[in-house]
Amino acid sequence: MTLTIANLSAGYGRTTVLHDVTVTDIPPGAFVGLIGPNAAGKSTLFKTIAGLITPSQGTLTIAGEDVTHLGRKDRAKRVAYMPQAYGCNALLSVFESVLLALKQTTGWRVNDDNLDRVSDTLHALGLSHLANRGVADLSGGQAQMVAVAQTIVRAPDVILLDEPTSALDLHHQLSILTSIRNEMDRKKPVVMAALHDLNLAAKFCDRLVLLREGAILADGKPEHILALPQIEETYRVLTDLERTQRNVLYVDARLA
Amino acid sequence: MTLEVDPAAIRHDYVARVSRRYGVIAAVFGLLCLSFLLDITTGPGGYSLSTIAEVLVDPMSHGARLKVIVWDYRLPVAVTAVLVGALLAVAGAQMQTILNNPLAEPFTLGVSAAASFGASLAIVLGFSVIPAVGPLLVTVNAFVFALCTCGFILLATRLKGVGSETMILFGIAIFFTFSALLALMQYMASEDQIARIVFWMMGSLSRASWEKIGLGTILLCFAIPFSLYRTWPMTALRMGEATAQSMGVDLGRLRVEMLICISLLAATAVSFVGTVGFVGLVGPHIARMLVGEDQRYFVPLSAMVGALVLSLTSLISKTITPGIIYPIGIITSLIGVPIFISIILSSRRERLQ
Repeated sequence: MTLTIANLSAGYGRTTVLHDVTVTDIPPGAFVGLIGPNAAGKSTLFKTIAGLITPSQGTLTIAGEDVTHLGRKDRAKRVAYMPQAYGCNALLSVFESVLLALKQTTGWRVNDDNLDRVSDTLHALGLSHLANRGVADLSGGQAQMVAVAQTIVRAPDVILLDEPTSALDLHHQLSILTSIRNEMDRKKPVVMAALHDLNLAAKFCDRLVLLREGAILADGKPEHILALPQIEETYRVLTDLERTQRNVLYVDARLA
Repeated sequence: MTLEVDPAAIRHDYVARVSRRYGVIAAVFGLLCLSFLLDITTGPGGYSLSTIAEVLVDPMSHGARLKVIVWDYRLPVAVTAVLVGALLAVAGAQMQTILNNPLAEPFTLGVSAAASFGASLAIVLGFSVIPAVGPLLVTVNAFVFALCTCGFILLATRLKGVGSETMILFGIAIFFTFSALLALMQYMASEDQIARIVFWMMGSLSRASWEKIGLGTILLCFAIPFSLYRTWPMTALRMGEATAQSMGVDLGRLRVEMLICISLLAATAVSFVGTVGFVGLVGPHIARMLVGEDQRYFVPLSAMVGALVLSLTSLISKTITPGIIYPIGIITSLIGVPIFISIILSSRRERLQ
């Protein structure tokens, strides 16, 4: 299911945050990293794609179908959005919290297929041992992984992850992104993730989109984008792009 | 991470947990039936359970006197206790969910205060909001004021799109406003009228009637299926508003629907029996400790626990001093609160069942 964002402008009230954003032809199974400094409009772009903000202009198409004005629930069937992590004090188990995410877009009754999907998703993300734990008892990192599970379980066409690794240690950063990649190989959704760590972005993404002040500065393969002078400008740092001995891209940054 | 569990096992755990919950619900229902039966057999006269049962089956089997006692007095009181307990607890449960605050209930949000003011307006000035309601004047006034208060909170959220914290602040402001107005009414009232206002506010089940019961039952028969229908968005709301919205929940619409439902439930319950605090708080709280917050089990069990609490209150109000029926508002607070606190303290931490 190809995702295309064309000439999108959106904002809050009278403030326009996104200015004429265009990202064309993101193919199924593509992992797009959205990079850019704080307050670049990454979350706003995600909220607009997820239908939480109505754009003032522009269109969104999934597999050739215009979904710009698709209702809240129909949109949620096709686009799953994980907001930045928030704590919660609900008396629900991890299993239940993933089940409830799935049940928003499937019928009222819980059937066998629903239960299979929840347990498979938890297993795929390495969260099975937390299934009976209360969501309020989770650590920040665990809660973030459960939030990813809540997004993936719905098997949508488009998955939007707002800083999925911000609360995770190194092991879990790698493990969650690897699990997402594995899921993508199976179900071929489009995944867009806002990432602050450029090295993680280089390692996992097929394509990077650089956003600054609500406008797109660059869009392309990681090795091209990370070598651009705009990276230094946008992040206000000096960078060196290297290839390690194992041919992995490495961004070395220091203050200008 | 190393302790990976088989997917079939976690699935099995969930299914087992669900069946345990049905067990808990059945047990509470059993207790409720028991309390209800005790409630109708307890009272002056000391009739046995079998005598009462015979009158229930055949009203005239033990003469007209016993028919009046059972059918016109004890049964309406016992049914009203169950019904109002359920109404208050469901209203409390839904308020707590949409406001994300375990302290929300009709009493804390000023609904009871508004109803008391409406009642006092009828008692002191004989003023009716809806003309020509006759003997139902006090009840109707209380209902209209309670409903308007909920409507006001609703309107405020709708107009400003305010969050749950602002809604609670609104509720507190309403509570103090109506308390002041109530004090003003009492200042203007005669001694006899003050006595009536105070008695109304204490809460009593003796205002029970079959008409009220019919009305309350119809309401409950809409409210519980409706909240079951909205069970998944409501459960999602427990994950936080931002998360629920990202899952496709139309938060604005859900809030409005639920506030309308809560308004009707709370206004009805309060206008029927007066101020009964605490049931709307304790019903959902105990239900949450027993089955967690999956609304499919949480809402029906809240209703049952609320019903059980008020039914037991009715029983206790008759048995403390034989021949005297204490106002239920006093009993729920005096006896209920220490029990409630001991429950909170004994289960140091809320755990999932």
